[in-house]
Formats: sequence, structure tokens, C-alpha cells
Amino acid sequence: MNEQNPAPPQIPPRIPSVATPGGIVQLGDDPAERAAIPNVVAAIDAILRHPRRVMFQLRQPDAGKLIAMMLLVSVVCSLIYGVVVGTFSGGDQLWAAPAKIALGLIISALICLPSLYIFTCLSGSQARLVEVCGLLAGLLMLMTILLIGFAPVAWIFSQSTESLAWMGTLHLIFWFIATIFGLRFLETGFSHSNARSHAGFHTWVVIFLLVAVQMTTALRPIIGKADTFLPKEKQFFVSHWGDCLKATDKDLKSKLRE
Amino acid sequence: MHTQSAKLKTHPAEIATLLRGETGTISAWSECWSAQRFALHVSVIVLGAGLYGAGMGWWRDPQQALYVAIKFPLIILLTMTGNALINGMFAPLLGLNIPFRQSFSAILMSFTVAAAILGAFSPLIAFMVWNAPPMSPQAVSGATYSLIKLANVAVIAFAGTTGNVRLFQTLARLGGSKAVAFRVLVAWLAGNLFLGSQLSWILRPFIGSPNLPVEFFRATALHGNFYENVFHSLMQILTSD
Repeated sequence: MNEQNPAPPQIPPRIPSVATPGGIVQLGDDPAERAAIPNVVAAIDAILRHPRRVMFQLRQPDAGKLIAMMLLVSVVCSLIYGVVVGTFSGGDQLWAAPAKIALGLIISALICLPSLYIFTCLSGSQARLVEVCGLLAGLLMLMTILLIGFAPVAWIFSQSTESLAWMGTLHLIFWFIATIFGLRFLETGFSHSNARSHAGFHTWVVIFLLVAVQMTTALRPIIGKADTFLPKEKQFFVSHWGDCLKATDKDLKSKLRE
Repeated sequence: MHTQSAKLKTHPAEIATLLRGETGTISAWSECWSAQRFALHVSVIVLGAGLYGAGMGWWRDPQQALYVAIKFPLIILLTMTGNALINGMFAPLLGLNIPFRQSFSAILMSFTVAAAILGAFSPLIAFMVWNAPPMSPQAVSGATYSLIKLANVAVIAFAGTTGNVRLFQTLARLGGSKAVAFRVLVAWLAGNLFLGSQLSWILRPFIGSPNLPVEFFRATALHGNFYENVFHSLMQILTSD
């Protein structure tokens, strides 16, 4: 009898989405977030469209491969953007600017990584060092991908102006916008690591921005020309920018006199 | 039982537990002495404070960097051991009935936290010094010297404060009372600041001066003390017309 009147199949109950007290949906709740990231193209796609997928994968045991991929993309993208930066002056700057931008980016990240990890731990986060490295690599990748997006605009301007100060400001604006998006990715990742407070993270953001800006001065000239690869004189970025503005002002006045 | 023994196993990654301030685990560590853990914490102090010291002294000269890399952890270790006895006595007197070894362990852990923070900031300090114009009489009287000095003060203050906040949390857990923890912390801090200041005075210079030679100790290292000097400076300010 039972075989003739089988019981209707049970509808599986709806699993409520798990949310933390702060209202954050846990990573991996959405099956799409659990999909592996097999190659570079998938990594780029994931960081732009599904950043949570990247964050989830960074918590998996084989996160090292993804981190290596993200770093590779960051270096390649910064080299490409560097060539665009170098087109303003041409000559040696066509190889010097990409080398300096890629090197500067990696060194800035390395300098800031220990303090990021310390601030992460101090805020009570459970993130491991590998995950913190991965989030930082994600920041670099997203930042450099966005810079590639700005590259055509930067190239057009670099071909149509002779003002070093103007080009410097433009590149800084592009870098700043790209960095904001990169930092947003990093902060979202940070939010998923049970951090009690974001104060340490915000302090680190200030440190990272200062280091990155100082790096542009330490590795100058990146846009303009010089006799030596690295500057002969050490300067902090505030005084360097002050000098640049004074020089631009002088140029403008002499042009007006002519 | 298994979880408890796993918690007590020593591993370099446990520094993250200290930084997070997981008081349950930290209290368990302080209760049972482990030579391996002691060695790990001392290594973090030597490495973290040493790297930071190297960054600090590098502006003057690489030799000064080496000297400060030795002196900075030395101050921490000497302050800790010099005050170990009195700190161990203060704890029960002020209401925290813990054995001497446990109080020493708690202080060691707070210095480990501070040294780990200092170590993490050492690349930033080194980068700042690398970007600074060479140390000269002009640089020392200008904004660069002030900036380097202030950055060092800020980092050391942050590391010290964080170490003490973590120590306070551990003491509150051990004593079950914030008031007791606060009393003990203030007493320990007063003793450590008193000895630490004098040790720093003896082991000066740290950043160095362009007008004075690079040396491990000043010739006047043991002439007078820190507090006498502060007193003389105050008197000069008050009596100058």
C-alpha cells in the first residue's frame, strides 16, 4: 500500500541567511562565492564583480596561488600604466617610469604589511597573515586594474600638455580614485574577520597613503626627466610638491611676460 | 583537556593571540611557566625592539643603528628584570594574589606586545629616515629632526599604551576586578617608568647628534641621572630672566 501511495516529497526548508550581529552576511553563504578562481582572468573578473568571492577564496588553504596571481596582475598592470606615464617625457622614462611605479607599489605594500597585520590583530580580528597578505594583494590588483582603465585618458593628456605639475596632479587624482576603491575592498575584507573596531584600520590607511605618496617623491622623477635614475637629494613629499608648485608658478610668470 | 593543552602549546603565531588580547588564553599562559614561551617572548622583544632601534639610529650613522639595535631591547629587558622583584611584591599587596612568576610572565607579555608593534613599525621608520636629508647641524635645528623625533615618540607611545592596555585586561581577568587591576598596573607602570627613564639616560644616545661622535655610551653616561637633569632644566627655566 505504501508503495502505491508514496508520501509526497518533502520540500526542504528555507535556510535563513546567516548574518552576524552587525548585519554582515557571512562569506560563502552564496554558492557563487564558493566557486574557485582558476586563473588570472577569473581573478580580475572576481575582484571587479564579486569581491566577496576573492575574500572567501583567501580563507581557503590554497590561497597562496590566488595571492601570487593577484600580485602578478598588479605588477603587469602597473608596468603598463608606467609606460603611459613615461610617454610624457619619452626616452629613458619609457622604461624607468614603469620600473619605478611597479617597484614603488610593491615596496610600499611590503613596508606597510607588518603594521597592517598588527592593527588587524589589535582590533581583535581572527584573520591569518596569509589572509591579510591576500587582502593587500587584492587592494594592489584592484588599484592597478583601475589605473589601466584611466590609462587612455592619461595618455591623451600626456600628449597634449607640457606642464609637469598638471600631469603630476592628474596622475595623483587617478591614483587616489583607484586607491579609494582598493581600500574599500580591503575594508570589506577586514569587516568579515570579526574585528571589534575599525580605528586601527583607519590609522593604517593614513600610514599607507603617506608611504605611497612619499614613495613617489623617493623614486622621483617618475613623470619628468633627470640625469640619474634616483634623486641625488633626499626630500619629503610636502617640500618636493612645494618646489614643484614654485617652479610651475615661475614658468607661468615667464610665459606671461613673453 | 585537549583544547587546554593545545592552548598552552608554544607557537610563534601565538603573538597574534597576545595582540588580540584573548585574555582567557593569556591568563592560562601566565599561570603555567614554559621556558619555550619565555624564549619566544624574549626573542620577539630582541627582534622587534632591535629592528626599531636600528631604524631610529640609522639617520645618524649605520654604526649608531647597530648600537641602538642592541640598546633598545636591552632597556626593555633590564627594566623588566630590575623591577621583577618589586613588581612581584606589589601585586599581592595591592590585592592581586598571584605568584611572582605569574606577575613576571604578565609583564613580559605586555612588553612582547609593545615590541611586536615596534617591530612592525620599523620598516616605516626606516623608510622615513631613508627619505630624510642627511643628519647635519641644519637638519637637527629644522623641521626634519622634529618630524623624526615626533614620529618616534608617537610610535613608542602607541606601542607602550597598547602593551599596557593588554596588561590591564589580563590583570582584570586574573584578579576578577578592574579596580585591583588598575592599582597594580599603576604601581608597575610607575616603577617601570622610573627605572626605564634612568636606563634610557645611561644608554643614550639613540637618534644621535651630528656634533657628537657615534658611541655606545656617552662619556658622561654615569654622571648625574635623568631626574637631576630634568630638575636642572626646570630650575634654568624658572630662574632665567
